[in-house]
Amino acid sequence: MAEFLQTVETSLAVGALYALIALGYTMVYGILKFINFAHSDIVVLGAWISLRIATEVLPKLGIDPRAAPWWAGGAVLLASMAACSIIGFVIERTCYKPLRRAPRLNVLITAIGVSLLLQNLGQLDLFFGTQPARMPSLLPNTPLVQWEFGTEGASRRLVIGLVDVVIFLTAGTLMVLLELLVYRSKLGAAMRAVSFNTETASLMGINVDRIVSLTFMIGSALAAAAGFLYAMKYPGLNQPAHTIWVLLGLKAFVAAVIGGIGNVRGAVIGGFVIAAVEQFGAFYISSNYRDFYVFVLLILMLLVRPTGLLGSTVKVKV
Amino acid sequence: MPSNAAHSPIVLREADALRPPRGHALLRGIGPLLIGVAIAAVMQWGVGPFVGTYVARILLDVGIAIILAVSLNIVNGLAGQFSLGHAGFSALGGYAAGSITYYGSLILWNSSVKHGGPFGAGEWLFVAACLTGGLVAAGAGFIVGLPALRLRGDYLAIATLGFGEIVRVMLQQTGDVIYSARALEQATVNDFFPPPLGGSLGFSGIPTYTSLFWVYLFCAVTIVVAQRLKFSAAGRAMVSIREDEIAAQAMGVNITKWKVRAFVISAFFAGVAGALFAHESGVIISPGDAGFQRSIEIVIMVVLGGKGSITGVLLAAAILSTLPEFLRDFAQYRMIIYALLLIGMMLLRPQGLFGNHEIWDYFKRRRKSSS
Amino acid sequence: MSSAPLLAINDIGIRFGGLAAVQDFFLHMPPRSLYGLIGPNGAGKTTVFNLITGVYQTQTGAMLLEGQPLGGLPPHRITSAGIARTFQNIRLFGDLSVLDNVMLACQLRAKNRIAGTLVRSRASVGEEAAIRMRSLELLDVFDLRARADEPAQSLPYGHQRQLEIVRALATEPKVLLLDEPAAGMNSGEKRQLAQTIRRIRDEFQLAILLIEHDMELVMEICERITVLDHGVTIASGPPEQIQCDPKVIEAYLGVADDEGAEEQSSKGAEEK
Ligand SMILES: Nc1ncnc2c1ncn2[C@@H]1O[C@H](COP(=O)(O)OP(=O)(O)OP(=O)(O)O)[C@@H](O)[C@H]1O
Ligand SMILES: [Mg+2]
Repeated sequence: MAEFLQTVETSLAVGALYALIALGYTMVYGILKFINFAHSDIVVLGAWISLRIATEVLPKLGIDPRAAPWWAGGAVLLASMAACSIIGFVIERTCYKPLRRAPRLNVLITAIGVSLLLQNLGQLDLFFGTQPARMPSLLPNTPLVQWEFGTEGASRRLVIGLVDVVIFLTAGTLMVLLELLVYRSKLGAAMRAVSFNTETASLMGINVDRIVSLTFMIGSALAAAAGFLYAMKYPGLNQPAHTIWVLLGLKAFVAAVIGGIGNVRGAVIGGFVIAAVEQFGAFYISSNYRDFYVFVLLILMLLVRPTGLLGSTVKVKV
Repeated sequence: MPSNAAHSPIVLREADALRPPRGHALLRGIGPLLIGVAIAAVMQWGVGPFVGTYVARILLDVGIAIILAVSLNIVNGLAGQFSLGHAGFSALGGYAAGSITYYGSLILWNSSVKHGGPFGAGEWLFVAACLTGGLVAAGAGFIVGLPALRLRGDYLAIATLGFGEIVRVMLQQTGDVIYSARALEQATVNDFFPPPLGGSLGFSGIPTYTSLFWVYLFCAVTIVVAQRLKFSAAGRAMVSIREDEIAAQAMGVNITKWKVRAFVISAFFAGVAGALFAHESGVIISPGDAGFQRSIEIVIMVVLGGKGSITGVLLAAAILSTLPEFLRDFAQYRMIIYALLLIGMMLLRPQGLFGNHEIWDYFKRRRKSSS
Repeated sequence: MSSAPLLAINDIGIRFGGLAAVQDFFLHMPPRSLYGLIGPNGAGKTTVFNLITGVYQTQTGAMLLEGQPLGGLPPHRITSAGIARTFQNIRLFGDLSVLDNVMLACQLRAKNRIAGTLVRSRASVGEEAAIRMRSLELLDVFDLRARADEPAQSLPYGHQRQLEIVRALATEPKVLLLDEPAAGMNSGEKRQLAQTIRRIRDEFQLAILLIEHDMELVMEICERITVLDHGVTIASGPPEQIQCDPKVIEAYLGVADDEGAEEQSSKGAEEK
């Protein structure tokens, strides 16, 4: 029982991370119809920028990152989100905008190029270098809740960590804000219009370029938030080109596909589904194959229902 | 009056009359392969011994890169199916071939070192292993080709990427290599589950049979096959799928069949390339070889060379696999340069260096315009 | 209609969501017939073609070609059964040469052994030469031989439409479906096209079903005409009968302005 609940708890925290990243993939796909391969690298940037701010900027402001006040974490998070949304904007304007009318495959390849570029620039000593680094814990990682299960001697504990709760709440708040933005605001209506049919939207007087840029900025900000939260949960940050990051991005992408790519709510559901499959598989079958479960699920999904859980089929007009 | 036309198509009425004379056909059929053998022999005995081991190794890598890129170009450039799993096929072929020569040598000759001289028994075992590696990869290509039928563009890219990652994870979970003939004799069934392929450390100890001769021979075969496919009914069928699937079907092209065929053929040569790589001296194959970063390197070669241009891709493979040697001092900038090349190419010349054309098309055109 | 139908279409139809794009569609074509399919924009004409060629699956009824059922076959099987089509919005293989476009269609009737291709067997070389020869012959139907080596996408619009017809003929069909082959042509070109369509029917001995907005052309060459409106067949019969059918007149007069606009826009496209 304790193990089961513990796995649920981890799935919720990890799932929130996947969901945040998946949102970026799905929003870009919804509007520009291509897989933004470089999205996972924005997550990396988010994590490493947070780390640099925490280790270099905070001390200059006279704040000890190891005993930071409660608001320092929030400040780092916001700064990192802002930085990444600017980077997202620049990437979109320079690399993707000129390709608005090009075949989608070309855009996909460009995105792969951008991804390689970000990874390898990040590896330069000028930026983050090739060594792993440790994120200072801006939050005391004290267990918030500890429940004992079972009898004395064979007791199992369920631990709900503060970090996990913060991850879940932060991600949840961001997702609710996004939901409000997309489905309840005028801007969101414009975004949905562009996603539905770019040409009609521009005929209706919507500034498509602005909407696309905005989408990239929001997606990148969410990715940065995911990067920050990831660094809170797993403070030993690997170097920017490490495969672990690629895998993180891939799994989040799988989440977006499972949920139905292009669908904002689907991405969130997909994130939690992937996390659950991974965590339960790792715990109950074998942790060696945790990536395996996710990709098998992806391939099964593509075969059975390529449009994902919430996606809809579109018949090509001939 | 049921017309005869239903039984004998009009197209084929002249086909028999148009068959070339036997001798001529044989020459055209085998000629290119003989040239391939000659080039391979020159590389092995004319070039190899004089350039030193360092350059010889680069030449091996270039040859293998050419096989990988030209074969990926069949599925990617001709059939237009964007695959990000080519390294996965290659690694499967490498592991399959490596396990055959390694364990085969232990069983046959009690030792895993190279057995026999040039064209000796060991070398033939190696050739058989390369072909088997190709077949194993082709089998995987068939399995991956099946979902490809239902998926287009980026979805396929993701599925193939997932395939490569699955291969990588599975290879990581393999067990330790059994190090000697004695240990192999004493091994129990348990030692073979999971298969003893070295796990995440890599499969070491594979005999080093790979030579310039075999690499360039397989290289020639790959190029000849790719070229014959491209300029034939098969190539047209594949390109039609790339250009417009609906129109292709309307012209009677069975797009399912051709997509799977493209995957199978392409995977076969990727497997052979993997096998050659596995037997190179100084190389220890490891699960990372199946990963998606390796696949992307091959994709870059194809993209730079031009979709469907065999000579363009060949050139790109040769350049991109020697470039790192020149950039050794700037190793950390190498991938940055690749990335910029890729982005710049897509922005400025998305069809690649040579687009759909072969290099000689340019000479022809120049001759035409000057005359 | 004395002879047995070559193509018998009984009660086919399809819905897209709530929209019945085509319903209760019947058509019986004898060998070597030349029929027309007309109707205002969005009436469902192209959808009928898509249903016949298996691009969309019919949700009702059945289709028979020479008595063999076509229902449920994938598009390529329907083409090899003997039904070829052109597309309203041209779908050539733009990167392939004009000749290759036709050769691709021609090779449908060849054996195309892949092993033979790889070893360059005599049979495969002979086959390829035969395909090439036949394709060049077919290009003569529209005087396209001189442009055989150009990429299809570099042809002018009118030639692209002609190439689509040649390509369809190259599959050696028994039934040819032409979707607005005269779009964007001036009246002189249209008259010539009418001649060519008749000639193709006689020379290749096939049945032709023609979708066309130009009434004069349709009335001139078609033996029977089926009129669609909102997916429903509102009339069917010889041209004289269609011309004075009150329902047809109403369907067309009701959208007469649209027709004018359509002609305008196609002229605009031509100028570009
Ligand atoms: N794949 C599809 N999905 C949804 N609706 C479709 C699809 N294909 C066709 N339709 C609809 O079916 C109706 C009939 O379309 P169709 O293309 O058959 O008309 P048409 O008679 O060929 O018109 P036109 O003269 O403009 O070519 C239209 O309302 C069209 O929007
Ligand atoms: Mg139409």
